Amino acid sequence: MPNNVIDQSKDITILEVLDRVLNKGVILTGDIVISVADIDLVYLGVKLMLSSVETMEKLKSGQSLTENYPNN
Amino acid sequence: MEKMIYATLSSNKNIDEINGLLSSIKGISGADLYSVKLDEISAVVCDINKIEVVADKENAIEYAEVIENIWNQFTLIPMRFGSILDSKDAISNMLSKNYSEFKDNLLKVENKCEFGLKVFCDSEKIIAELKENSNNEIGLTPSIENENTNSVFRNYIDKKLKEHRFEEFLLSLVDTVINEITKQLENLNAINKFKKMSSATNIVDAYILIEKENKNELLKMVKHFQNQYPSLNFILTGPWPPYNFVEINIK
Repeated sequence: MPNNVIDQSKDITILEVLDRVLNKGVILTGDIVISVADIDLVYLGVKLMLSSVETMEKLKSGQSLTENYPNN
Repeated sequence: MEKMIYATLSSNKNIDEINGLLSSIKGISGADLYSVKLDEISAVVCDINKIEVVADKENAIEYAEVIENIWNQFTLIPMRFGSILDSKDAISNMLSKNYSEFKDNLLKVENKCEFGLKVFCDSEKIIAELKENSNNEIGLTPSIENENTNSVFRNYIDKKLKEHRFEEFLLSLVDTVINEITKQLENLNAINKFKKMSSATNIVDAYILIEKENKNELLKMVKHFQNQYPSLNFILTGPWPPYNFVEINIK
C-alpha cells in the first residue's frame, strides 16, 4: 500500500471525526453559537478509527503501519 | 453553570448506578460527568461555562472521545457538539418533550455501530486500464491519427468526447458498485445511506449502520470489493457511535 494512501487515511480520519461531532447528532433548539477555530488536517491518533481495510487489519494484529514500507 | 449534553442514553439502571459508571469517564477539560434521568432515558452532562466552549479541533476530538467512552458502556444517541442548556430542569423538560422520539431512536441503534465507507477513484489509472483492457471499447483513445485532421478544433472535440465518455463510464461504474454493495449489505441486515460523486475523486460516500456482531463480515465485504476493483480505493472508517442515524427534531 503506497504511503499516500496512509496519509490520505489520516486526513480523512480527522475530517470524519469533525464532520460527525460538528455536523451530526441531535441538534438542540437554541444551541449556543460557539466560536470556530482554524481546523487543520493533522492526525492526532484519536484511536483506531479509520484506514483502508488492509491498514485496519494490520493495526488489529498489532503490526506497525510502516512495517512493510521500510523506505517511508 | 450551564450543562453541556454529550449524549442521550438508554438504561434500566438507577441513577446512582449510571453515575457510578460515568465516574470513570471524564468530559472535555476533565469535567465530571453525571446523568439527568427520566424513566428509561438519561442525558449525560457536565457543568460548563459556555463562554469557554470553542469549536476547535482539540475540543471536537476530545468530545468525540468522551462520546466513544460512554458508548462503550451504554446504547446512546450522540448530541451535536455545543449542545448546552441552562439547568437540570431544562434538560429534564427537553427529555420529557422528546421522550418517545429518543426511545424510538435508541431502540433503532441498540447493539449497532456505524461505519463510513468512502470509495475514491484515480481517473488516470482507470483510463490507462481501460485503454489496455478494453481495446478502446468506450472510445478513450484519440481518433486524431486516423482522421488526419490535426486541427485545434478536432483536438478540442476529441478531448471533450473523451471526457464525456469517461464521465458516463464512471457514473455507470458508481451505480454498479453501489448496487453490489447494497446487495451485500442486505445480507447483513444493515441500514445504509449513499451519496454519489461527493467530489471528482470521492465517487461513493456511504454510512452504514450494522449489528456490532456483523462488523467482521463488513470488513470482509469491503476487502472483497477492494480486490474486485483494484483501480478504486475503498476506505472504511469505524466503528462509530450512530452519529448519522439520528432522526429527532427536538421540540
